[in-house]
Amino acid sequence: MTDEIRAFLFAALTEMKYDIEGADDDTVFGPAGLDVDSLGLAELAVRVEDRFGVTFDDDEAEALAMMTVGEFCRTVGARVQPSSAH
Amino acid sequence: MRAGVTVTGIGLVSPVGSTAAEVFDAVCAGRSGLARPAEGHPVHGVVDVAAFSPDIDPASVLPGPESRVVDRAVVMALRAAGDALADAGVEVGRDVDPYRVAVIVSGVGGLSTLASQVLARAERGRFGVSPYMLPGTLPNMGAARIAIRHGIRGYTSSIGTACAAGAQSIGEALRILRADEADLVLCGCSEAPLFPTFADAFGNARALAHGWSDPTAASRPFDRRRNGLVLGEGAGVFVLERTAHAVARGARRHADLLGWGANNDAYHPTTPRPDGSGAAHCMRTALRDAGLGPDDVGYLNAHGTSTRAGDAAEVAALRDVFGAAGPPVSSTKGVTGHVLGVSGVIEAAIGVEALRRGLLPPTHNLDDPDPGDDLDHIRKQPREAAVTTVMSNSFGFGGHNVSLLLGPPGA
Repeated sequence: MTDEIRAFLFAALTEMKYDIEGADDDTVFGPAGLDVDSLGLAELAVRVEDRFGVTFDDDEAEALAMMTVGEFCRTVGARVQPSSAH
Repeated sequence: MRAGVTVTGIGLVSPVGSTAAEVFDAVCAGRSGLARPAEGHPVHGVVDVAAFSPDIDPASVLPGPESRVVDRAVVMALRAAGDALADAGVEVGRDVDPYRVAVIVSGVGGLSTLASQVLARAERGRFGVSPYMLPGTLPNMGAARIAIRHGIRGYTSSIGTACAAGAQSIGEALRILRADEADLVLCGCSEAPLFPTFADAFGNARALAHGWSDPTAASRPFDRRRNGLVLGEGAGVFVLERTAHAVARGARRHADLLGWGANNDAYHPTTPRPDGSGAAHCMRTALRDAGLGPDDVGYLNAHGTSTRAGDAAEVAALRDVFGAAGPPVSSTKGVTGHVLGVSGVIEAAIGVEALRRGLLPPTHNLDDPDPGDDLDHIRKQPREAAVTTVMSNSFGFGGHNVSLLLGPPGA
């Protein structure tokens, strides 16, 4: 599951014109890593909600900014019911 | 003594060039910016003819992620502003206090991006809507992005007076500089109307030129056979400065902005008042503001969009203000098309070149004026004339009238 989420995440970031070269599970979303701004994180959350049928409340969406890629994938994965991953 | 205001920079994105000189050359040579929409363009099959500006890669003016959901209107505004600052030789922060720089860049906003997001919402629900839509489409985002890009921290706004918005932005900049609320103002407009819904609105309002086998013949201001305007896209930004500020930094001055007027017809949302009395009053206001009289105007760049009602009302207004022996007149929209609010900026730039070169551009396609129209139309060829004052008119849906007065750099 985590691999699928990571692949989706990187595909989405690429489509959103972020540079993902060299990014891995330890990369952060903030300025020290991918440098995704608040609107970028908001769009990413919407895409993940759409694809995996999960929802993030406002506090969670903000917390994403502090996570690494690996933490994000595990967080989403733990939320996904197997039946809702299409 | 009121502070003088001078033009030190011009940046254009237009169907016929990206500098005042290029646009002026095209207008004088009758090199038309009008064309049939190319196959694959959103307005292919929607309009017969339009005035297209060069493509600009959004990533050339915005960071990658922000360049994805952004309207062409915002992209063109950024390009024109960057070119205008470069033309003026100004770097904000180095040459001028960021808090003493203002931006007034207008336009109807990113309506084509809004339209596509509405369609995506209908198809995919909320997941079709990007959070980038708002910074991509709001009408203030041209001005805001320019401020962000160049670190401008003074007064910023955008004005919503349709096809008068560009000229009005220049006029409001004059007001701000005279009031000593800024040393330098970036002012202008950006419009990207070439998408199906917007074009159909103009078409169904019977405002568009139609039925011309040669697309370059479709825009023909003041000509008896005119049957509508030709929509165009583009952007234009002026750098205006307090003259003392420009002189102190050794800037090259293109021209001075001498005065302006603005008012409303109070008549109809889209039809100008037929007797032209609103436009006439507006021109007189501009003359009074500049301390000039009708006889001082050596060239008049008309709004002249090539619609029957609009051109006729402007002819009436010009007769009212200038009498029988009025100044030489032309509308340059025969070549540029009608770039909505940007027209006033493009035409002010043409006025700057006319002052500089002592040459007045003709009205393209004006073969045969209306019976009774005895204005001194400049036709076929540019006319040599050393002029010291140029007036430029812009009128917008909503009855908005704006007149600007330009002169050569003075003391």
